[in-house]
Amino acid sequence: MGTTLYLQQARCVPEGESVDRTVPLQVRDLAFRYVDKARASNWGVNVATLQLAQGEQVLLTGRSGSGKSTLLYLIAGLLDPTRGSIIVGGTDIHSLHGRARDAYRGRGIGMIFQTFNLLSGFTALENVLAALMFSSIPGSEHDTRARSLLEQLGIKRFDDDVSELSVGQQQRVAVARAVVCDPVLVLADEPTASLDPENASAAMKLIQDLCEKKGAALLCASHDHSMAQRFDRKIDLEDLAGQPSSTEPLRA
Amino acid sequence: MMTDFTLIRRSLRARLLSSVLTAFLVALAVALLLSMLSLREASRRAFDRGSGNVQLILSADSSPMASVLNTVFYTGSPARSFKWDAYSESLKKLPLEFAIPVQQGDSYRGFPILSTTPEFFVQSRPDPEREWQLERGAFFKKEFEVVLGSAAAQASGLKPGDQIFLTHGQSDFNSREADPAADESKYPTLKQALAQIHKYAPFTVTGVLKPTGTSHDRAMFAELSSSWIIHAHEKRRLKNPALTATTAADLTNEDRLITGVLIRCKTPPGSSESPVLPRVYDELRRSYPALTVAFPAQEVERLFGIVTQVDSIFLALAVAVLVSGALSILIALYNSMDQRRRQIAILRVIGCSQPRIFGLIVTEAAVIGFIGALAGVILCVAANKLTAVLMFRQLGLVVEPTLLLQPALIVTLAAVFLSALAGLIPAVMAYRTSIVRNLQPVG
Repeated sequence: MGTTLYLQQARCVPEGESVDRTVPLQVRDLAFRYVDKARASNWGVNVATLQLAQGEQVLLTGRSGSGKSTLLYLIAGLLDPTRGSIIVGGTDIHSLHGRARDAYRGRGIGMIFQTFNLLSGFTALENVLAALMFSSIPGSEHDTRARSLLEQLGIKRFDDDVSELSVGQQQRVAVARAVVCDPVLVLADEPTASLDPENASAAMKLIQDLCEKKGAALLCASHDHSMAQRFDRKIDLEDLAGQPSSTEPLRA
Repeated sequence: MMTDFTLIRRSLRARLLSSVLTAFLVALAVALLLSMLSLREASRRAFDRGSGNVQLILSADSSPMASVLNTVFYTGSPARSFKWDAYSESLKKLPLEFAIPVQQGDSYRGFPILSTTPEFFVQSRPDPEREWQLERGAFFKKEFEVVLGSAAAQASGLKPGDQIFLTHGQSDFNSREADPAADESKYPTLKQALAQIHKYAPFTVTGVLKPTGTSHDRAMFAELSSSWIIHAHEKRRLKNPALTATTAADLTNEDRLITGVLIRCKTPPGSSESPVLPRVYDELRRSYPALTVAFPAQEVERLFGIVTQVDSIFLALAVAVLVSGALSILIALYNSMDQRRRQIAILRVIGCSQPRIFGLIVTEAAVIGFIGALAGVILCVAANKLTAVLMFRQLGLVVEPTLLLQPALIVTLAAVFLSALAGLIPAVMAYRTSIVRNLQPVG
């Protein structure tokens, strides 16, 4: 019944339609099964329900290999679930196919990775502009938007190749790329794992501040429990399987 | 603002050496193809112009082809000379528009000298469509005067009023600067060269011709009886060293030697073909069995046939090089795919669709093809200029290949199309790139 209700709420939006910012994420009855023939193993991700409110910041924890990254990729529409629905910004992302899903992801979801995944050989500015290139934001705004965001993040060497920037600066460029299109949801996959504790804390603060400023909900996968106090909620992936999402309030 | 071309440009820059080398291969193929096509066209034009309005050539060469090559294209000296008086009268009985005697064998600084009568400039034409025209000065009217072809004048720096001594045979010895009066015994190295110079009298340049686009441009045209006089004088001085002067009045039948007769049969006005040509041809062959009667148009056609066969092989080679250029694009892009999967996965994450990734790779291949084709066109223009210079210097052929716009467009489009085709396999690989696997291990 609940599933039906969620599916009815989800609209299959054509490319270019605006994202409903009041519904950043609703996951219902999700199952993903993966058979690794090479390793003769079989594993998966199960989520009964998971919901993020507008601007909410949630820490997703779980042991290594539990499927945190896989859940993020499922939410981003990069993997297809075996069952269930994932509604991002009011739209079931898996009801969209091909180009429409890619466009929707580009417009509504920002992703931050542990290894930053910046476009090598491109400048800091171009890395941010690349995200705008696939969005529906008018081209005339791209340059101003990207420059102003990088300036806010303290990046001055716009035209330097990203490989010439420090690790901290690369991290900031990656964050800028994730939020430049004003996404409804930011998915961060171990974003601070490659940084020392001091820089990790600063980077996480930056991500959270920026998401807050842009009004984007944040789902951050991390095995670092020390970060938990910074978030509205902490969820353990294993608790999500087959039971309602645990909602343990962490900050006021 | 970033566009797809920014992505393509960056990708090309990231693999600069490979991109440049593959584009260069395409450029070579395009240049080869276009040069062959322009050369073929230019050769056709040069050969067509070559014999002008001359319909038959009478000479003592061993074959009609040798006769045409020597007399029309100045590729060598005619084999033998023969007495003009033995033929001049009998030729008058045939229905001819003209029968102009020519003598070859002398040169000036490597430029061939064609000694002929003033009728040459009046009745013969360098091009069926055009008469001889002067750039400067006048045609020769009397003895010891010479008119220069445009290229010969330009290369030699001679102008009307200058005087030159002709050299016997084809030699690039500079007879203008060498002083015929120099003490030969003091200059043993000069001695042999000076002995080749016709020192009896200098020729005065009276005019410079306008360019004709034929081999005549690199020739010099001397008055025929003067040529007879200098040769007769030298022959007589061997017997009588005290002889100081020889004039036209002293010439005998033995002296009036020529190497060819340029003939045009009576042709109705406005027509390029003469109804009496076959009859005159047969008559000449029957009457003068010791001489060769050449049909320049036919020989030029044969010559062009040989050239065409050779350049067909080059054309096939050029097409093969173009295909291998496209294959090299395929290999270069295919090999780069492993390094690019991560980049492709990132682009997909930020919203780039699979068809757009496919299009980016195909466009990148096409851009390599396009840059290569453009470089090829530029290379072709340079090669054409070089070919013109080499053909002129080595063969004396005035071949001016010009870039043909329509073939250039077709070859460029073909290069772009083949390159895009070569990009299809890498593009399919890019299209099918797994995002998750190439970002980081699923965990």
